[in-house]
Order: sequence, then C-alpha cells, then structure tokens
Amino acid sequence: MKRERVILVFLAALVLAACGTTSSSGGGGNAYAGKTIKLGAILSITGAGGVYGPQSRDGMKLAVDQINKSGGVNGAMIDLTVNDDASLKAQSAQLAQTMIQQDQDLALLGPTLSNSAVGVHPLAESLKTPILAVSTTGIHIVPDCNYPDETPCKYVFRDSLGEQTAIPDNIMAYAQDAHPKTGVLLVAQDDKFSSDGGTIVQKTVDQYGIQLLKVIKFSKTEADLSPYVTQAVQLKPDVIFITSLGAIPAKIMTEARNEGWTGQFLGGNGFNTATVSKQAGAAGKGARSASAWYIGNTFASNADFVNAYRAAYSKDPDQFAAQGYTGIKIIADAAKRANLTFTDLAGDRDKLRAALETVNIDTPLGPFQFTSTHDVKQTVWIIQMDGAGGFTLVHEIKPS
Amino acid sequence: MDFILQLVTDPVAFYQTHTLLIAEIGINSILASSMFVVLYSGQLSLAAPGFMAIGAYTSVLMGNYWNTPFALNLLVGILLAGVVGVVVGLPVLRLRGVFLAIATIGFIEALSLGVILNVPITGEGLGLKNPDADPLGGINIVLASLAVIVFLLWRLTQGRLGHAWDAIRQDELAALSQGIPVARYKMIAFVLSAMLAGYAGGLESHLNFFVDPTEYGVARTVQVLTFAVLGGSGNVLGPVVGALFLTTLPEIVRVPNFDYRDVIAGAILILVIIFRPQGIVGRGGLAIIRPRWWPKSRSSASAPG
Amino acid sequence: MGQQVLNAIFIGSIYALFAVGYTLVFGVLDILNLAHSAVFMLGAAITYSLVVNYHQSFAVACVLGIASCAVMGLVIEYICLRPLRRRRAPPIAALISTIGLALIIVAAVEQGRQGSIFSWLWVDGANSVSFPSGTVPNPTWHVGGLTLEATKVAIVPVTVALMLVLGYFIRFTQFGRGLRAVAENPRAASLMGLDVDRMITLTVVLSSALGGAAGILFGLAISDISPYIGRDNLEIRGLAVIVLGGMGSIPGAVAGGYLLGAIEVLALVVFGSNVRAGVAFAALFLMLVLRPQGLFGAQVHERL
Repeated sequence: MKRERVILVFLAALVLAACGTTSSSGGGGNAYAGKTIKLGAILSITGAGGVYGPQSRDGMKLAVDQINKSGGVNGAMIDLTVNDDASLKAQSAQLAQTMIQQDQDLALLGPTLSNSAVGVHPLAESLKTPILAVSTTGIHIVPDCNYPDETPCKYVFRDSLGEQTAIPDNIMAYAQDAHPKTGVLLVAQDDKFSSDGGTIVQKTVDQYGIQLLKVIKFSKTEADLSPYVTQAVQLKPDVIFITSLGAIPAKIMTEARNEGWTGQFLGGNGFNTATVSKQAGAAGKGARSASAWYIGNTFASNADFVNAYRAAYSKDPDQFAAQGYTGIKIIADAAKRANLTFTDLAGDRDKLRAALETVNIDTPLGPFQFTSTHDVKQTVWIIQMDGAGGFTLVHEIKPS
Repeated sequence: MDFILQLVTDPVAFYQTHTLLIAEIGINSILASSMFVVLYSGQLSLAAPGFMAIGAYTSVLMGNYWNTPFALNLLVGILLAGVVGVVVGLPVLRLRGVFLAIATIGFIEALSLGVILNVPITGEGLGLKNPDADPLGGINIVLASLAVIVFLLWRLTQGRLGHAWDAIRQDELAALSQGIPVARYKMIAFVLSAMLAGYAGGLESHLNFFVDPTEYGVARTVQVLTFAVLGGSGNVLGPVVGALFLTTLPEIVRVPNFDYRDVIAGAILILVIIFRPQGIVGRGGLAIIRPRWWPKSRSSASAPG
Repeated sequence: MGQQVLNAIFIGSIYALFAVGYTLVFGVLDILNLAHSAVFMLGAAITYSLVVNYHQSFAVACVLGIASCAVMGLVIEYICLRPLRRRRAPPIAALISTIGLALIIVAAVEQGRQGSIFSWLWVDGANSVSFPSGTVPNPTWHVGGLTLEATKVAIVPVTVALMLVLGYFIRFTQFGRGLRAVAENPRAASLMGLDVDRMITLTVVLSSALGGAAGILFGLAISDISPYIGRDNLEIRGLAVIVLGGMGSIPGAVAGGYLLGAIEVLALVVFGSNVRAGVAFAALFLMLVLRPQGLFGAQVHERL
C-alpha cells in the first residue's frame, strides 16, 4: 500500500511538473507567469526617418505576437509600446526619459536615427536602462556612446551591423574582384550618417590601393546634385563612393549614368532598401553595398521569419524589419535567463543587462552573439542592385 | 492623451519624469522672447537661429578646449552674439518688412551652410560633442532665467524704450518726427534679441551631448516665428504662451498607433490663427508688414484680440 | 565646364518656375504663401500616383495633377487667406495659416502607405521614387563632350512658354488687367467695381497650378519625388530668387532663377563644392543690402 501511494505521489508530481512546462518558445518554465515585461521602442514613423521606422516596428510587433502566442517569456507577456519621435532629436530624448522614468519600461529599443541616438543612448546609460539599437550604424554608437568619459557604455547594445564593418568589407570585396585604382567620394556634409560613412571610406581606401581623387561635399537638402556629379565624372574615376541615404544615391547614380560614366558605385547602408533600388532603376544596376541581411539567406530561422512577415503584412521584409524582429528576440532571450523579480526595477534592469551580454541564439540575421563591446558579429552580405528594384547576392563574408 | 492625465493627477511626478520636455519649453520660451523684442519694435527679423548657433558653438568650444566654467562660456557666447548682432544689424536695419525677413534668412543660411559646415573647428557636418552636458540638471537654470527674462522684458515695455519701440512699430516716420532716435533704438532691439537668442543657444547646448549644425536653419526660424505669432506678440507673455502651446502640442496629440500627429498639428495651427489672429494672448495691432491695403492699425490700447 | 553651364541653366529653370508662383501671390497680395512648396510637391506626387497606382497615361495624369493643385489653390484662399482678411488680421498671420496647411499636406503624403487613410493619394510613405523609365520618352544626346538629357532640356522651352503665356494673360486679358489693378491699389479697384475677392482667388489658383506644373517637371528631370521635395532647399531658394529678381515681378522671377543657378554653379566651380549654398545666400544678402528692389522690382518706397 505504502509503495503504491509513493508511486502515485511520484506520478502526480511528474504530471504537475509536465503541466508546468508549457510550450513557450525555447521551452523553459513558468517562473514569470502572470507578469508583464514592459518594453518601449523609440522609432521614427514620421519625418525623414520614416523610411525605416515602420519596418522596424513591423518586425518588432511580429516577434512580440509570436512570442506571446506561444506562451510568452517564461509565462510573462511582452507589452511593447512604440512611440514616434518624428525624426527629431529633442522628442527622441524626451521620449526616452518618459519611458524610463514614467512608464518604467524594463528596456528600450531604438532610436531609428544616429542623430537621435547621440542624445538618447547617453541618457539611457545615465539612467541605467538597457537600450538596444536596431538600426543605427554610425560610429560612436557602441562602445563609447558619447557619455562623458567615453568609457564603454554598459547599457547600450546594438544588433544593427555598423558601417565600420560594412563599408570596409564592401570595399575589400570589390577590390579583390576588380582591382580599381581611383575613386571619388560624394558625401553629404550636413548628414551625420553620410559623414561617418565618408570618414570610414577615406580611412579604408589606402589599404586596397585605391587613390581618392577628390572628396566632394554637398548639402543633403539640395534639390539638384548634377553639378557635383559632373565634377566627379569629369575626373574619370574607377569607383564612385556614395555614403548617403534617402533619395540621394539614386539621384547621383541616374545623373552619373546619364553623363556617360560607366564605373562602379559602392555604397553603405543607405543602398540597402528596395526603394532605393527601385528609384535608381537601370542606373543602379550593379551598385554594391554590404548588408546585414539578405532575404534569401539560408539561416535556420530566416525562412519562418520571411513567411510569417509576408503573411502578416502582405509585403517582403527588409533589413530593418529583420533587425527589429531580432531585437525583440534578443531581449526576450535575455529576459528569460535573467531571473527577473518584477518588483525591483533597477535590479531587474541590471540583470537584463548582464543577461544580454551572454545572448547566443538563432535569428534571421544568423547565429547571434554580442561582441565584448556590445556590437554585432555576423555574416556580411555583399549585394548589388539588379536594375529592377531588387538585389542579387554577390558574396557572403562570414564573421572572422 | 495620458500626458494630460498624468499632469493633472500627479504634478510632482510629472515634473520629475518630464524634465527634458519642460526644459525644452523653457528654452523655446526664451527664444520666443527674443523674437518678441524684435517684433515689438516692428522688425521682422528671423535671425534667431544664427545667434543661437553662435552661442552654442562658442560655449561648447570653450568648454572643450579651455575647460572654462560653464557660466563664463555662456557669457562669452552671449557677448559674441551681441557683437555679431551689431555687425549684421548695421546693413540690414534699414530694410523693411519682408525684405528684412529675407535678409536675416540669408544671414542664417550663409552662417550655417557657408561657415559652420566649412570651418574644421566646428566639427563641420559631424557636429560637436559636448561631454559636459547635463540634460537632467539643466532645468533649474532654464526656468529661473526664463522668469528673470520675462520680468525684465516686461519692465522694458513699460518704460520709455518700450514705448518708443511701440511707436516705431506703428509708424516709423511719425516716431522719427517725434524725436525718437529710430535707428539707434531699432539696433538696441536687434542686439538684445541677438543676445537672448545666443543665451538660449548656449543653454540648449548644455542640455545635449551634441551640437548639431542642422538645427540652426530656416526650419528653426519658422518654428520660433510661429511661437511668437501664434502666442501673440503684443505682449511679453504672448510668445511664451505660444512656445508652451506648440512645444507640448505633439505630446498632447500623441495617441498610441496614431501616426497623423502632424495633420492634427497643422489643423490646430490654422484654426487658432483664424479664430485668434492677434495670437492667443493678443493685444493690439501688429503692423509689421503693411502692404497698402491692410487696414491701418488701431491704437495699441484696443480691445484684447 | 560646358556641362556645368548646362547644369546652371537647367537648375535655373526650375528655380524660375518655382519662384513665379511665389512672386505672383506676393505681387498681388503682399503675402508669402508658404504652402506653395507643398503644392509643388503635391503636383508631382499626385501625377506619380496617377501614373503608377492608377495606371493613367502621363498626359492625363499631368492634367489631373495640375487641376488638383488648382483646387488646392482654392483651399488656400478659402481656408488660409480669406478668413484672415475678413477678420482684419495682421498680414503676418497668413504666414502661419499657410505654414499650417503645408504641414497638413506634407504629413498626408508622408503617411500615405498601404492601409493608411491616405493610401488613395500616395503609397510610398516617406520614400523617394521616380517616374518609371518610359513614362516619357527621354533620349540622351552626347554632343561635343556635353550631355543633354531630353527631360532637362525640355524644361527651358516649357518655362519660357509658360512665362510668355502668363505675360500675355496679364497684359492683354481682362482678368490680367483686373489683377494689375488689384496689385496696384485694391481699394481703388474695388471702388471701380472689380470683385477683389474673385481676383485674389484666381491669382492663388493660377499660382498653385503653376507650382504643380513646376513640381511635375522637377520630378521628371531630377528623378526625385517624395513628400520632402519643395520643402527643403527649394522653398528658401524660391525666396532668394524673388528677391534677386524683384518681388512681384514675373520677368524678375525668371531672371532671378537663372541668376541664382549661375551664382551657385560658379561658386561650386570656383570655390569648391562646400560653399555653394552659403555663397548663394551671401549673394542674396548683398543684393538686399545694396539694391533691395532686385533686378526688376519697382523702387521700394515708403508705404504710409
């Protein structure tokens, strides 16, 4: 009799244990059941940054829905609030303060633009709140986030491949393919993103024996760039480097081709959206850049991501959607392992920060881990515009 | 919408968690006051952002290179803005109405596009880093100085200088014939406005880790003009009210998942100006640009707008 | 160098076309219509949407695009300008109401995405697009080392033609005479039986239609259509042009446009690219200080 009771109790315990383990993504316990993980995202939905913000938002929301539907993070639901900073630095910083101090979000994502990040990241650092950049690729985002002493920032992370890696990889790949000798750099001097990219180009070209004939600076708001393109084309370079984003790359490429130039365009992250490829049309054919993501990549979770995105939004995802999606996945994974208390916000934020440093998961960007400086280490895709609004893959550069 | 709820239910917590917003309101109010001075004296000067830039860059550069205390940097910035104000003011002050406006636009664009972007020490397109910034602590200085400035300007408008400005605004020739040294008083207003703008610029740079060269162009000047006109520039408080209203407007219409804030903001602008053309705190006519057919302004002691 | 001269001529034409609408309203109303750049953009955006989303031919799309801008002119007059005139508002108030309308127009296009309430107008959000190649025949000729692109070349005769038509209109038609009367002295004009309000409405409508046409040409020649064309540099360049040419003078706007284009390209070639924009404004500043009436404007006299 006693033995049977013991067995019964033992079986009952097993059943209870099994019930407790719901099929949450990645499995693992019900420790946070009934709680909410509050996250906040500062994105540019209106204004010039509105070219990227909505995709980041869509990617994030998809991830949140998927995670919540399959049991949440250890049973806790994610509550994501997305706020628009109108591409304005001041609003971005104000939102950061409000979301950290008033809404008491556990962690933040964003902001979309590098210009805004310069103000927001140091603020998050001083208020000891983890913040994950999902689209900023300029210099000085990590590890030194411009906070007073320029020591590595502890709370700032980034999942968006930086231009410091992307641009040199792109130049290296082309140099190995075609051995260009000369180049001209066109840079928008009043745009931080473009200026950063320009600086990187200037530092890199010597390594590959490319002589920079001229650096042509212009203002990003100029309506007509023809005079600058004319100057560039008249020098007859092998390569024209374009580090701008928005409408500028397509305008330059169209004008250069019209003036009869047949060389190679090399760009930065600004090339990596379908709209730029579409706007450039035939003139952009063959223009190369390094991308953090490629729709046809064969990483484990990519196909699911692409299909789910298409089902939810009736359009293809892009690099920004992939990075936003990955951002949520990263934070969810860290939250799962962080032993959150949900009663001590400051303590929880610090635990989340520590857990972020050890993230190691599969994402549409590939197997993802942060470097020791909270930066991204991943495969780089060298892509080129196909002249018809899309891209084709040229090279795959694995992380060293 | 939760913005208002929180303000009403827990003002102390609201203040503590919105210091950046309140500081921005304060700085915008100082800028609006700078605009007030020139508008009150009948000059449609749009030069404020240019002087802001001078104040901001001077103060940050001094702090970065010479490690001088913030108060000194600010002071030098203000004085430099004043000096440039004199230099710019001399040729342009004889221009009237819209011509003055466009000349001052020329000044700020030439300054930001021509000078700032091409002089290496300003960091050109990359802007300047300001490691001494204190975003959360700066609010006290901002609010305190705003109060002082508004009080001083009010006293000024009550005194002889203020009455002279009023007269100049209404009818320059008549003022001249009354013995008012029009040119000199206009210059005083212009330089005072420049110094106020320089001060606002220096303060603003103290709240940000980064001085951005693109902040000092036409978009900024349109914004500041809107503060002053929407608030009403017949009265010292008008532009401050305008700044308060317009700076908080994006937050008031912030609704989750609603991306049409600017549409609402534009509609509100139109409605406010149509129903209160003299401004929210209107008083008296504002005959800055007087094409032949607008009705002559009535005396300034007319019914509130 | 020759190519740069061509560049100057083309950009000058665009400045001229844009500025004419500005100067028309300023000449008659003494108001700077700051919604003009938004209407310029709207012309390009609507035409693009009609061609790409509604599959209309380019000719039909142009006509409809310009017509929509004319309608927007009505909106400007009835919503932004007339109520202020009725309430005897200070003229500076019209700056604010037109700024408000510009804000609405740009935001509406910017938020035009699939699924938004403005998707009937525009679906590309904040992105920049260009007319699909083949929308208009656009051969490129290479003559003596110079590149001549059909769409850019076409701007010059189109601009000139529009100016001639406008000039004829103003000098020889009844409406034109009425316009000039109102510009000269509105009180007298109304005493003589002219319906001043109607004249003003027609002026704003005409100016907006011209702005829309300029936007379409811009989109074609520069291959750039987005919610932000017009707002960025073109708006202040437009101001610079009408100052250089003389406020209220149509031939002045045209001359001013080419003058500004020339100054900018000259600055680029002589001083290097960085200072191009700064030099343009320095030139503006100088003109205002030395000769405020611009090239063709009337003497700026005291208005009592």
